[in-house]
Amino acid sequence: MSLKDYRPMMERCSNCLGCKWIPFDKIKSQRFGENCPSVCYYNFNTYSARGRFQLAQTILDGDAEYTKKVTEVVHSCTSCGACDVSCKICRYNLEPLDHNIALKIDAVEKAKTLPVQETIIGNLKKEQTMIQGQKRIDRMNWAKGIKVKDILLEKAEVLFFPGCKYSYEDGLTEKARAMVFLLQKAGADIGVLGKADACCAGRAYQMGFEKEFEQRANANIEAVRKSGAQVIVTPCSDCYYAFKRLYAKLGLNVEVVHIVEYLDRLIANGKIQFVKPVQMTVTYHDPCHLGRQGEPYVAWEGGEKKIRNQIHTWDPPRPRYNGIYGVYDAPRNILKAIPGLRFVEMERIREYSWCCGAGGGCSETLPEFSSWTAAERISEAEATGADTLVTACPWCESNFAGAKNQNGNKIKIYDIFDLVRAAL
Amino acid sequence: MALSREIYQAFEAVVGARNISEDIGICESYRAIPCQTSDHRGPFKQKTPLPQAVILPGSTKEVQGIVRLCNKYGIQFKASTTFWSVMGYIGSDYSVQLDMRRMRRIEIDPKNMYAVVEPYAIGAVVQAEAMKYGLNINIPGVGCSSSVAASTAGWVGFGPQTIFMGAATENMLAAEWVLPDGEVLRTGSLGAGSGWFCGDGPGPSTRAILRAKQGTAGSMGICTRVAVRLHPWPGPAYIPSRGMAPAYKANLPDNFKAYTLCFPSWDAYAEGLNLLHQAEILYLGHRQFTMFGRDIKTAMIKILNDPDGQLSDLEGYVNDPELKKANEDMKIDIQVIIAGMTPRDTEYKEKALDRVLEMVGGWKSEFMMDPEIKDWVLMYLLRMGHKNLNYVMCGGYEGNFGLSGNVFVSSSVMEEASALKKKWEDEHDYIAQVGGDSDMGSITIMGGGGSTGWEFFTHFDSYEKESVEGTAEFFNATQEWMNQKKLGLDMGKWNQSARRPDGYYFSQEEQDEMFSKLAQPLVAYYQYRVREAFNPNNLCGSYYRTLSKV
Repeated sequence: MSLKDYRPMMERCSNCLGCKWIPFDKIKSQRFGENCPSVCYYNFNTYSARGRFQLAQTILDGDAEYTKKVTEVVHSCTSCGACDVSCKICRYNLEPLDHNIALKIDAVEKAKTLPVQETIIGNLKKEQTMIQGQKRIDRMNWAKGIKVKDILLEKAEVLFFPGCKYSYEDGLTEKARAMVFLLQKAGADIGVLGKADACCAGRAYQMGFEKEFEQRANANIEAVRKSGAQVIVTPCSDCYYAFKRLYAKLGLNVEVVHIVEYLDRLIANGKIQFVKPVQMTVTYHDPCHLGRQGEPYVAWEGGEKKIRNQIHTWDPPRPRYNGIYGVYDAPRNILKAIPGLRFVEMERIREYSWCCGAGGGCSETLPEFSSWTAAERISEAEATGADTLVTACPWCESNFAGAKNQNGNKIKIYDIFDLVRAAL
Repeated sequence: MALSREIYQAFEAVVGARNISEDIGICESYRAIPCQTSDHRGPFKQKTPLPQAVILPGSTKEVQGIVRLCNKYGIQFKASTTFWSVMGYIGSDYSVQLDMRRMRRIEIDPKNMYAVVEPYAIGAVVQAEAMKYGLNINIPGVGCSSSVAASTAGWVGFGPQTIFMGAATENMLAAEWVLPDGEVLRTGSLGAGSGWFCGDGPGPSTRAILRAKQGTAGSMGICTRVAVRLHPWPGPAYIPSRGMAPAYKANLPDNFKAYTLCFPSWDAYAEGLNLLHQAEILYLGHRQFTMFGRDIKTAMIKILNDPDGQLSDLEGYVNDPELKKANEDMKIDIQVIIAGMTPRDTEYKEKALDRVLEMVGGWKSEFMMDPEIKDWVLMYLLRMGHKNLNYVMCGGYEGNFGLSGNVFVSSSVMEEASALKKKWEDEHDYIAQVGGDSDMGSITIMGGGGSTGWEFFTHFDSYEKESVEGTAEFFNATQEWMNQKKLGLDMGKWNQSARRPDGYYFSQEEQDEMFSKLAQPLVAYYQYRVREAFNPNNLCGSYYRTLSKV
């Protein structure tokens, strides 16, 4: 859908501004009651989902244009989807998240981008990664020294797709190797894409670079098809979302699971057993693209149908995507299975979780805002009394780590896999 | 006319560069498109004027600085908090819009049972903070997404829990008020340096000027802090919940009971509500779910309780014989909540409720006593967090008919009003066809007589122009009927004399033309004289109706 196709939603948004809060039924305090990093940081209503609807409407009407400020507003959405969940508590015909991304796509088509975005996307095109400064030729270095199939040369049931972060970054490459080792030890038949491995480009889509996303997605889908893999396992929530939702829409027809789901299954059937206690008080951050945006894709083609004069419905019924069927229980099951670990919840969890701030490319494009967003989450984690904040996405983890170092927080930041390893 | 650099920089010096913008995109997003929102005046197409700048003050001092500059340079201003209603937007070209979002502090005095709130403290968060102390706040019908300060100081302010807690007029204590000329007035006990406990004294007793009965919709300056009365909450420190979105359900102890009371006739309904008012047993009393429409309310409840529910499920449910029966059973109904302070209190209230039903031949809806639905109702009504369901069906809604008066008056015309609305639903396709009656309203304690709010929800499509215009035609018809019945102004037109159809304020000349025809023109003239004293440069908008000569 292009931006103009969202016109009915723009005009049917009722300005309740529920999009700025977690579902009201779930608010436990003022401090942690809001949900949209963008409007919380910048404060002008324009930054809210409602504001974006109205901004887009005025752009379509020719009353406003992509000024420097407007361009920043458009790209300051972390694409976290919290507004989408809150809106859908009461509405069945608005899609704020899809609209926010459509607005970004419109801006990008009109060359209204933030300076860093061009560098990032340039690197994606040239080196097929979102990590600035990294080269395509080095992508598979992470797998050196381990025995793992190249799935395009040798059939394997499970395709392990580490994503850019685990492929390149210090500390994460070693973890990717350990993941493969653990899965193999538990009996999984694992392969990797080898020379065909490249960025999923999900973040490019979140930033509004739709064409660049589609180019990469089609190449990746073709590689997966050739591989014959039955399952894709990824430790990255952005990659998970790209494969599960975006690629599925483009025709990918393979089971996609995040590593926490795979580990949860292995734990449940006894193939992984924890033996060492982990004496930590842990709280868990739901990554947006694993949680509320991790719902399976449901194909839909249809249109609006009015009943009873003016009640608008979708014919056939359209998938709702209100976040409730995301991946929430698997990581919690894993943490609760670790002996000695004390698990505590933050106020904003599951479908109404607060974003880490890295989404939508904001960790690169608007670093101060992104870091502030992460710091907010760290404050919420600390308020639980936890000594450790755990997540299941390398983008979240690195954003938290950066904010922690900047602000001198004492809380420890880990990927959930770190605790799994510690308990083995 | 853009602000001169001198003026812009003067504002910027008050709030800092980060908190002011004149960017066209920012300013355009602060224009109301009234048919997409609600101001109880009927839908129309135009946007409100474009502000010269949007300013976000962070303190009373900054508000005062902005207002003083507005007076110095002759710039109109309007403050708003959550921007749900058109009355919060500017109405003239040379104006600045204040967004009060940065002012959000809440201070709770549990011992004296009040909260001091800044404008952006919305009902949901004040309630959440109050519950930690075993206290609760009256969340008016506007819902918990709206500002407590604005509801208390600026508008009507009654709602489902008013039967237990009173309305805004009763709950407003002392206030800190930046007058239209920039002076800060501390009202009631605050003005005497005695704290926030009283709105009327010692110190300036100006509550009637600040808000009167209805509130002035911000046309008399900016309230930067308001003390509001809190009330007992016999529940946990937060409402535990279960279930999946959108159907979160409250896990509350047994001292909380939610019932839908049904009556065999409107006479019995009126008598029942009157007795319930007299019995003083309710924590909440509100005719809520008929807002979807008499014929479809149980279908909507089913959809809203199903995480996978869709509006396309509606027809299937509407034709379900069991739900049709439940609709018939609940044709004349009201939702109530009892909150027992002790087991004995709970028992007494239950008995008294049953006795009232026995006296008027009423009953409790079995459909609504399903535990899953009951707990959803408890969450819905106690938190008032589903305000946007007003718009769920069509994207637009407007209240019409409308009467805040004695329940015996409103109930006596309910069927006739329903029939008129049903006729329009059946003969035109402008508004949703829901069975006529779509009344929503609370039992209040206003005036001490158990008066009852009455508002029909009219659902229309804010995207379809024929629907928008047809709804306005329908409101003309209901106004005609209201005139015949001598019931006063239709709610859909309540604010028609406050803002022109093109989104601008009326000039004084236009107001003079309109209000000289009032039955009691001296009221508007008196208001003019008050405004002259408090708002000498007339910078805050014209929702405050004035007549310059009689």
